[in-house]
Amino acid sequence: MNRFKLFTLNWWILHALAILFFLYLGHVVKFPV
Amino acid sequence: MTARTYVRSTLIASLVVLALGGLMLHVRIHPVAKNFSNIVPVIAGILSVIVVPLLFSFKRTLAYGYVLNGFLVIIGTVVMAHFSLAHWPDAATPGAILLGTALADIFILWTAFFVGKVLFDLETFGYAPDRQRKGIPYRYPNLGWWLVHLAAVSLVYTVGNLVWR
Repeated sequence: MNRFKLFTLNWWILHALAILFFLYLGHVVKFPV
Repeated sequence: MTARTYVRSTLIASLVVLALGGLMLHVRIHPVAKNFSNIVPVIAGILSVIVVPLLFSFKRTLAYGYVLNGFLVIIGTVVMAHFSLAHWPDAATPGAILLGTALADIFILWTAFFVGKVLFDLETFGYAPDRQRKGIPYRYPNLGWWLVHLAAVSLVYTVGNLVWR
């Protein structure tokens, strides 16, 4: 058992969700000059 | 009070005041009413002031505090770098890049990361002064793992910004 196993959630699902979140963050954050 | 309780409380207090300072500064300089994107530091600030210290306070949630704190720092770094690129100095001299961008703010933000890292390491591996550090540098919970995630988040955020318009 990995002592540092953080999430019981599947690694791939976690990373897919994280990628979607950061894609969305990049999409919504705007800094008009 | 044990040395451990004292050190832990002090480190958590430093995270709280640092996050409060960041939150208040953002609310003052970048009001949400001016640009809705300014909601990002407000949400990140509230999470850093309330949720991160709570997660760091309990052994069971310590690792979640460490990860949330680290990712909030990464988000702050990436979004402030984006802000700097959007407000790039007209004459991009080395001095203007050093002092005329959010680079200083990014450096200050990383204090929160390192305080969180020390707190996590002490609580996880113990406070023994002579303990030798082990582990693979690029694997969790070491610094290299964070650098890989900083690079990955930067890439995904950039794709989201440039491709998904």
